[in-house]
Amino acid sequence: MIARSLNGLLRKDDRVAVSNITGREASKVSVVSQRYCGNIVAGWALGKAGHVVEVPGGKNIPVYGQFEEMMAALPENRRPNKVIVYSPPDAVYGDIKEIIENSQGCVKTVFVITEHVSIEVTAKLRRLADTEGVDILGCNTLGVINVHDQVRIGAVGGDAPAETFRKGSACVISNSGNMVNTIASYLQSAGLGISHGVSTGKDVLVLSPLKELLPLAMRDRCTKLIVLYVEPGGVYEQEAIDAIQKLDYCKPVLVYVAGEFAEGMDVSLGHAGAVVGGAGTSASGKKKLFDEYFGLPPFDPENAKKYPELLAGHRRGIRVNALHDLVPAAAALMAASGIKRDFIPLRPLALRPWFVGLGGLAKDLPRDLVPYAANIPEPYARLVKQQVTSGVGRVPSRQSMRNTSHASSNDGATPRIYGHSLLTLMRGGSFAEAVLLYWLGQPVKHPFEARLFEMSLIASLTNGPGTISAQGAKMSASAGNDPNTAMMTTLGCMGSVHGGNGKKAAEMLIKVFAGTDLKDPYDRDGAPDLAPLVKKFVKTFKQRKAMAKEAGLEYQKVPCVGHPVFNTAAVNYDPRERVISQFLEDEGVYNVFLDFYHQLARGLMAQGATSKTHAVNVDAALTCVLMGIVWPLLVDKKITLERAVDLPMIAFALGRVAGGAGEYLDHRDSGTAMDMRVPVSECRFLGRDLD
Amino acid sequence: MSAKIGELTFLQELAPRFKIPAPDFVVEPVPQSVVKRKLADWGGGIVKPDILAGKRGKAGTVREVSDCHTAMSLLKTVAATIVSGSQPRTAYMVQTVPAELEIFTAITYNSAFLGPSLTVCIHGGMDIESVPESDKVTVPLNVFRGLNAYQASEALKKAGLEEGRLNSNLALSLVKLWDMFSATGMQSCEINPWRVTRSGDVYACDFKATFDENNVKFRGLGFSLPEYPTQTSAFEEDMAAWSAASHQGQAHVAELGGKLILPMLFGGGASTIVIETLAQAGGDPMFLSDFGGNPPYERMKKTAEICFRHKLAEASLLLILGGKANNTQIDITFAAIADALQEWSDTHGARRIPVVVGRGGPGLVQGFARLKKTLENLDMPYVFFGPDTPITLVAAYAARLVKHTHKS
Repeated sequence: MIARSLNGLLRKDDRVAVSNITGREASKVSVVSQRYCGNIVAGWALGKAGHVVEVPGGKNIPVYGQFEEMMAALPENRRPNKVIVYSPPDAVYGDIKEIIENSQGCVKTVFVITEHVSIEVTAKLRRLADTEGVDILGCNTLGVINVHDQVRIGAVGGDAPAETFRKGSACVISNSGNMVNTIASYLQSAGLGISHGVSTGKDVLVLSPLKELLPLAMRDRCTKLIVLYVEPGGVYEQEAIDAIQKLDYCKPVLVYVAGEFAEGMDVSLGHAGAVVGGAGTSASGKKKLFDEYFGLPPFDPENAKKYPELLAGHRRGIRVNALHDLVPAAAALMAASGIKRDFIPLRPLALRPWFVGLGGLAKDLPRDLVPYAANIPEPYARLVKQQVTSGVGRVPSRQSMRNTSHASSNDGATPRIYGHSLLTLMRGGSFAEAVLLYWLGQPVKHPFEARLFEMSLIASLTNGPGTISAQGAKMSASAGNDPNTAMMTTLGCMGSVHGGNGKKAAEMLIKVFAGTDLKDPYDRDGAPDLAPLVKKFVKTFKQRKAMAKEAGLEYQKVPCVGHPVFNTAAVNYDPRERVISQFLEDEGVYNVFLDFYHQLARGLMAQGATSKTHAVNVDAALTCVLMGIVWPLLVDKKITLERAVDLPMIAFALGRVAGGAGEYLDHRDSGTAMDMRVPVSECRFLGRDLD
Repeated sequence: MSAKIGELTFLQELAPRFKIPAPDFVVEPVPQSVVKRKLADWGGGIVKPDILAGKRGKAGTVREVSDCHTAMSLLKTVAATIVSGSQPRTAYMVQTVPAELEIFTAITYNSAFLGPSLTVCIHGGMDIESVPESDKVTVPLNVFRGLNAYQASEALKKAGLEEGRLNSNLALSLVKLWDMFSATGMQSCEINPWRVTRSGDVYACDFKATFDENNVKFRGLGFSLPEYPTQTSAFEEDMAAWSAASHQGQAHVAELGGKLILPMLFGGGASTIVIETLAQAGGDPMFLSDFGGNPPYERMKKTAEICFRHKLAEASLLLILGGKANNTQIDITFAAIADALQEWSDTHGARRIPVVVGRGGPGLVQGFARLKKTLENLDMPYVFFGPDTPITLVAAYAARLVKHTHKS
């Protein structure tokens, strides 16, 4: 290797370029790396010139079409000296050759993340590295982290490298990328931080063999102890031991060798190179090798106390049989070698279950097999509280949805909605049921819910031609548009004030009832006591209103209470809401949300927040109908809050767009061209002519 | 990833293509008249099973024959004889080559040189592991330039084969062997032995090779590899086919013969240490698995479906365990597992076996929330561990738990 120490692989001020940066993994990892250390200067991907990888909270990464183009575009002091390769397997050799030929000696280290690179290509890469004076790590490395300089390349540390890697004196060199992270987190319990973490990859040929990496670690001034994770396959460990025995001095080494269970079975381990191919390449062969080098049998946790003394005589290190034994073994080795801990040890390694739900099984188990749920550490505790143990609504899982859908499918014979045959729905269901299935992902529980929803849609059809949305349809007809344009205009004339108030109502209801034990909104007996909820709500509203008025600001009104037409009496009702209420009464169905709304309208008046009892309007009724349907799904975390609060407006829009179509048809049949135009004589100018 | 071939494929496809001297042969089923004629020409033959096994594995089924009736009978019986637990694809008979000398050669990628190497030993014919290292000569090869006759000759000389016609003949054959190795994307190939006749002619008399399936040359091999009856289970076959269907995320399993724990593991390293811990602690894992590599939802769901279809009915504990993921979205993978578990239970009825879960990584809490809900719906007992509990401790706990529940 041309690197003289681990710092030579990666240090602060290194400039990193990323191949195929717009790929799924490369872009994701690059964003995290850029936020962690900001060392990526650019990337390239064929056909993606001019793109930018956006880094929220960090510096965006420019994307070029080719490596050569990138080198030409970057100023000399910004050109990369490290490159990370995410190219497809068959492109890896060509890409690295291109990097070496066009980097003018600038690039010193190449990290090949790509999996499934052929052995022949890997051998050629090694040859290329030797002749061109470049270090190549991989293939299938996860990358490297230099904790003292707080820089990483690749995905070591996952999406929160600072969480796992605290500055310290242990260097981890591992055949498995994931084990770099795991070992780093284990060692925190010994008060041991990390100097460097190196994932070598474990293809058949490892381009950064242990015999080259170990001397770098031995020379590294931040490293006082080396931890190795070793898998079967290859003679790397024998060579490494030979190499370090030639050095003047050696730092203590802790070793875990995995894979012995597979010996004698025709089992291939997860990594391509973890294949036994000759004497001394098996896990048991490697264990023997290390035990002979250390001159000690493997660490015995039952007798941990004797090891500081035992190891003091050797100081070469020791092998552990179980990965969690690394912690007591590290403590013993540190004591024997006079290595001070890097920080106060974190909690000792132990079983710390987050959720225990053994149910009836617990009765039959001995006590040590029924662990108590432990305190969940931050930042998880906050998330768990929010998403698991309290609150309503499912937390969405994110993935690329470009060509996927949960909502619909078509196998070439049957279109389906959430797995339910459209054809069956056509034969036996109603439009309302089908729409609710599409919106909720599951059929409604009670037959009356579809009927209530249908009533809501009918109520949303129209409130006369003067409504803004109906006017939109008429305008469109007057301009000579086609029906689809008129329907879009109807939708375009809806907004947070007209048609969107239901969203605010849903947010309000969720806020009020999320703190209660409400499970079934149709169960009057199980409903929370509404009087204190109303009282508290009105009190807060009044305070907010008073403060806003004093400041001369607009105040946030109670959503869906009051109506510009139905407001002339001391106690007002929206007739459309009354129809829904009457239906509920006739069916003997209680709706806690609608009850709350009526009590709220009265409470606002009773507590002096309003001068009369305003109508609970149709938007409120529609929202209460939908909240009745979705509340159990929110409690069971089957749908998201976002979906629940969007539904009222979507439902209103569905009804109203049909109404808009009706207005369009009427206007088109009977109106004259441009009859919606306001004559100039009726238009007023509120400014002053300037020329 | 690797694919293996034995001597018969070499004789049929590769030796003629690369002009490597090899004995004549016939393959069962073969007419008696042909066998009779061949034996008359050859003077004798050797009947062998076409199976992927070493010399020790084939021992007892490799038989010398000189008369037609015995040969015909052996070709039938050897083809039908289970060898080292496997059914041969067929049987074949090769020409007997009387030899003065037997030589071992192998070309393979070598972890010491980080490139290809040639190994030669003039004590061929036996298992090469039993030959002392001092009798073998291994020389590194330049992967770009390959092997030339001079290098081959020098290696043979170092191994004790003096310059002369034999050295020269064999060196030329080794160059052809390299051409084959390189042109077909092999990972290793071994001829043991080259049989050397009194006249100095050499014949490649036994052969085995492994291809690198990642090598583009292997993908354009020009002939189909023979399908050997394997001992792989239906589970392994289903998963291997599914694994080959995409490179998005791992779908690797290997049967371990255990009966208790169904382990769904994530990460090559994690899966190895978890299985090692389970095995040590008596957890009796059913198989080794690695489902890491950030599989998308559909990939993970089908992977889980295959596991459940083959193993859940027999399992005593479901273990879902991985380290702190770097890239794998836990919310996506766990949602997929939860949905597959729900679907399996909808069809077969819920199995109320304990479920032990341990994981860390992006979307962890969302993933836990989703899986926990499903387990509660199915009334399955569970314990979830976050990344603050070491995976090996979780594995040891699962092993103790299953031992107890299985016993009781």
